[in-house]
Amino acid sequence: MNTSGLMLFWVSAAVALGSAVGTISMRNPLRAAVSLLIHILSLCGIYLSLKAHLLATIQVLVYAGAVVVLFIFVIMLIGPTANEQRAPRAVGTRILGAVGALLSTSVLAFTLVRHDAQLLPIPQCPPGAGAECGQFGGVTAVGAELYLGSMVPFELVSILLTVAIVGAIAVAKGKTTATSPKNEGPTTPEGAA
Amino acid sequence: MDALTLTLSTLAKIVFIMVIILTFAPILVWAERRQSAMIQDRIGPVRAGVKIFGYNITLLGLLHPLADALKFIFKEDFVPPKADKFLHAIAPILVVATAILAFAVIPFAEPMYLEHLGQVLPEAAARAGVVIPMQVASINSGILFIFAVAGTGVAGAALAGYASDNKYSLIGGIRAAGQMVSYEVTLGLTIVGCFMVYNTLLLEDMVTWQREHVWGIVAQPVAFILFMTCSIAETKRIPFDIPEGESEIVGGYLTEYSGMKFGMFFMGEFIEVVALAALATTLFFGGYDVPFLTSNGFNVFGMTANLPHVAVVGLQILTFVVKLAVMIWFQLMVRWTLPRFRYDQIMALCWKYILPLSLLNILVTGAIILLLS
Repeated sequence: MNTSGLMLFWVSAAVALGSAVGTISMRNPLRAAVSLLIHILSLCGIYLSLKAHLLATIQVLVYAGAVVVLFIFVIMLIGPTANEQRAPRAVGTRILGAVGALLSTSVLAFTLVRHDAQLLPIPQCPPGAGAECGQFGGVTAVGAELYLGSMVPFELVSILLTVAIVGAIAVAKGKTTATSPKNEGPTTPEGAA
Repeated sequence: MDALTLTLSTLAKIVFIMVIILTFAPILVWAERRQSAMIQDRIGPVRAGVKIFGYNITLLGLLHPLADALKFIFKEDFVPPKADKFLHAIAPILVVATAILAFAVIPFAEPMYLEHLGQVLPEAAARAGVVIPMQVASINSGILFIFAVAGTGVAGAALAGYASDNKYSLIGGIRAAGQMVSYEVTLGLTIVGCFMVYNTLLLEDMVTWQREHVWGIVAQPVAFILFMTCSIAETKRIPFDIPEGESEIVGGYLTEYSGMKFGMFFMGEFIEVVALAALATTLFFGGYDVPFLTSNGFNVFGMTANLPHVAVVGLQILTFVVKLAVMIWFQLMVRWTLPRFRYDQIMALCWKYILPLSLLNILVTGAIILLLS
């Protein structure tokens, strides 16, 4: 990795760690959501330092653009009740939490110290190759890998997603008709919101 | 290209883009007011002027945006006492920054060969020296970058609504988030047909395809109509301005903003208009393409008139700006022609009409490509 790549990695990693701590420690749920947004953007920087350009874009597109916005949307719908103070935790819970955190951290640290990740060279296009070669981590390369190399898993995942969407609609619909059978479509602009 | 040339040329391009954006924004404010006045048979703003030697210089009202800017800067920046000050402050920054970022991948002329500036551009094999691509960044994922950045901008409007500690702001923020998330999905789907025809995600390659074949509006007319509808909804302007709806919720998520923070939202809206015009130009109107102009000069049905490389690039930049202006004019016309939709109408339009239509467009485009190949 060259110097600029390393710099990108260290800056992104530091911001990612800081904002991750912020996400779980902020009392205000919306501030936590903003921390998550920053965390996701810094993860995008780490992907870029790994030369995964498409993944970085998708990360921003899906997580920052859709998932975090959905979080914010839900927090706003819940309203001020989302801001309520948490009940103080019992001593036992605290000790259990500390032990759990210590154990998982030590397992991670042990693995990192004992095993070095294999450094693989990034596949390069041969000089003079056309556009069909596809830059590593770019749209063409990832697309070829996805649609030519693993078509069946990809289609299976899309079927699974469709089933999940249909299931979500079925579950939500059942509840709506049980509580308010007359609520057919929005009547006021606020009802639609 | 060495690091110094790269840095200098990139800086120059960023400055060019910023100048375009920052001059278009105040002129747009003026154009919108004057145009609405003409449409509604009023005079519009013409009074603000500077007295020089007894003459009142008004420049047809062009000084009004300047007066606006002065007012924004010197007005008290009021933050509601119970508002979340941090979120209240970063919301307008998010909106403006994401709007400007979209320009990073838009090409505004063909690559410039510094060695051949004064002469007619030779054949591709004989070209030498430093090449400067006329776009700030050529990103591999191309247009996906614009969608990714625009999607993050949604958070700005929603945060503004929440942080203001005001019921009207909250309703406006929720409306904005719901509307923009919905239309973002369809916005991406409407132009998948274009990707299939152009066979690329890179905006510069899209323009090249359109120069060699036909403009995108001919190849994908349905996509153009759907894309314009979705993107006007994304900018939250009339007829899709329900998040601000003055007659119902005061000013929506803008209610508690004043001073330069409001100014930034105001500017953000106009930057989004310019960005949308740039994207529509690049996708459907050939970008910087001048009809009959090749890299060597004009070529009208066999009759050629050679032009030096620098003139070709200059003409292309000029054409791009003119096309931008036309697309912006079109958006302002829409703004002052249609009345505001209801919220359920906006949602129904998105999910019940545009989404199926864009899926159908993808299907038909795929079938035609399969038949032709």
